[in-house]
Amino acid sequence: MLNDLLIAFQAVATLENFLIMAAGIWGGVIIGAIPGMTGTMAVTLALPFTFYMQPIPSILLLVALYKGSTYGGSVSAILIKTPGTASAACTTLDGYPLARQGKAGKALNMALYSSCTGDFISNISLIFIAAPLALLALRIGPPEYFMLMVFALTTVAGVSGRSLLLGLVSACMGLLLATVGEDMYGSFRFDLTVDMQSGLAVAPVLIGLFAIPELLKIVVFRNTESHKPMQLGDNKVTRAELRRSLKSMLKGSMIGVVMGAIPGIGPSAAAFSSYGEAQRSSRNRDNFGKGEVEGIAASESANNGCCGSTMIPLLALGVPGDVITGVMLGAFMIHGMTPGPMLFENNLNEVYMLFIGMLFSSVLLFGAGKATMRFFSHIARIPPGLMAPIVLILCLFGIFSISNSMYDVIVLLAMGVFGFFMFLFAIPAAPFLIAFILGPMLEENLRRALAISRGDPSILVSSPITWLFASLAVFVVVITIRQQLKKAKA
Amino acid sequence: MGMTRGFLITALFGVVLFVLIPVYVPRPSFIPGFAPPPDMWPRAISILGMVLGLLLLGLSLSKKTQAIADPEDASEIRGDTPLPTLLLRFGWSVLAFALFVGAVMLLGFLLASMLLLIVMLVLTGYWRHKWVSLMVAVALPLLLYLFFSSALNTRFPTGSLLRALGV
Repeated sequence: MLNDLLIAFQAVATLENFLIMAAGIWGGVIIGAIPGMTGTMAVTLALPFTFYMQPIPSILLLVALYKGSTYGGSVSAILIKTPGTASAACTTLDGYPLARQGKAGKALNMALYSSCTGDFISNISLIFIAAPLALLALRIGPPEYFMLMVFALTTVAGVSGRSLLLGLVSACMGLLLATVGEDMYGSFRFDLTVDMQSGLAVAPVLIGLFAIPELLKIVVFRNTESHKPMQLGDNKVTRAELRRSLKSMLKGSMIGVVMGAIPGIGPSAAAFSSYGEAQRSSRNRDNFGKGEVEGIAASESANNGCCGSTMIPLLALGVPGDVITGVMLGAFMIHGMTPGPMLFENNLNEVYMLFIGMLFSSVLLFGAGKATMRFFSHIARIPPGLMAPIVLILCLFGIFSISNSMYDVIVLLAMGVFGFFMFLFAIPAAPFLIAFILGPMLEENLRRALAISRGDPSILVSSPITWLFASLAVFVVVITIRQQLKKAKA
Repeated sequence: MGMTRGFLITALFGVVLFVLIPVYVPRPSFIPGFAPPPDMWPRAISILGMVLGLLLLGLSLSKKTQAIADPEDASEIRGDTPLPTLLLRFGWSVLAFALFVGAVMLLGFLLASMLLLIVMLVLTGYWRHKWVSLMVAVALPLLLYLFFSSALNTRFPTGSLLRALGV
């Protein structure tokens, strides 16, 4: 393995790859710093460009954007009390009070140190956990895969939004949309027009679902208040503060690694769990929420700690844990690589190159964060009323360039309007997208399993692994319903 | 909102189950081995979706359980703006999208994008900064057009009107 890693190191350490990763990190940090622009959007907007790149640089670009945007979300959270990404919401609790005290630089620096630490630990975990998990995954067949995906979908539906029922409805809509086009045996379904026989591409559906509703929200609700950014002020994180926060940073990184590796949990839940744990165990617990650097360290290390580990289920099992890794799954497939256990057999070199590239990107994240800290306060001031139409035009050009077809542009706009309706009816978009991406695989494995068992559905609960995933899915449903009932009572 | 949503979700999956699947998912006359037919999966999802929709409808009748199924996200940012104004703004946006698709055939992708950008800037309320808006509306699509057509060799539609005029 060490030899393979060294060969991969040589292959990745080129100027071209460094420039791509640096551009990705920098772009991600800027996009993450703009309120309303999410890491998902950054990754999806970049997806059309990766069509014209080599496989590994294209995945590295997407990973760099993901990492950059996760850190970038903390910039506007600290400076203007508006988290650029959902996972940075927790950073606002202590970051903004610190900025109000004229210590925005200190808060940004602590966020950067913690993000890089969490990210690095997460990448190391990915390297050592993904391959053994993939070996284990080689032993599982269609029924086990089907149950695993059911578990992943249930988890995503349970933790996205505030209602499990709405999450499941969203997942059903995504699964249904995924059936448009040709099925595994060559039958055409829902081919209302000739174009629809080829199905719906992932890129226009996901960009439409996430980017366009943001524009429609601004147009319809005119929610464009501008915020005054804080001055950077006190920049230094003292050695004592760093020592005090180290325990929370390491604990947060591990929480991020574990929660990121479970499909559907994601960085937001990890950040809040880590913050809660840090507050519980800290000597300065009374200062949490008033500008405590330890609070920033806990939340930022946890949300960036998810970045590498969310790739574990994707690479080892072929199951995306969240929307961003769902997009990455699409990128892998575009380049002829299918994530899952076979990836480690067929594309081992590429996997190791990806691992090494991800480690490099942790270092680049630190450099990019340091170099552009002051600049971000200006970027965060771009009014949403100007930004959202610009994003729309970027989407239109990007999507058209993928297939040179107006059909994809129409799908993009239609999905945008559909996504807006989903927002109006409080139906979360994440389960829809994960279901849309997993749908064909889910159906294929189900139909294969039923064909193997000659139509007997009991094959879906015939082995200990299927039982494990089925029990986990039921467990998630029960726990989520219990929590929601508790909240409803309160 | 809970009742409307539950009803709409049930209706959506109902239409798919009873109208679209019988027409647009044909069953082949021969299915090899024990492979399930192509309509099995969409039918299963539609039935599940309808059950979930009915469950949402049922929950919305009881105030106790309403909170589980009714997060009311959109109403939080709606404020005091009257509903007709919101609907009008939404209608204009959808019309702009539809006109853009039509305009691409007539005026080409570049001009249609510039016009769409201007319309969206007007709709977001940023048009009060006229000069900035105009500059962005002209420069951004032009830059993207040049980038995609020269670097990535994308062939954008030129539009029938411009072609007839010989542009």
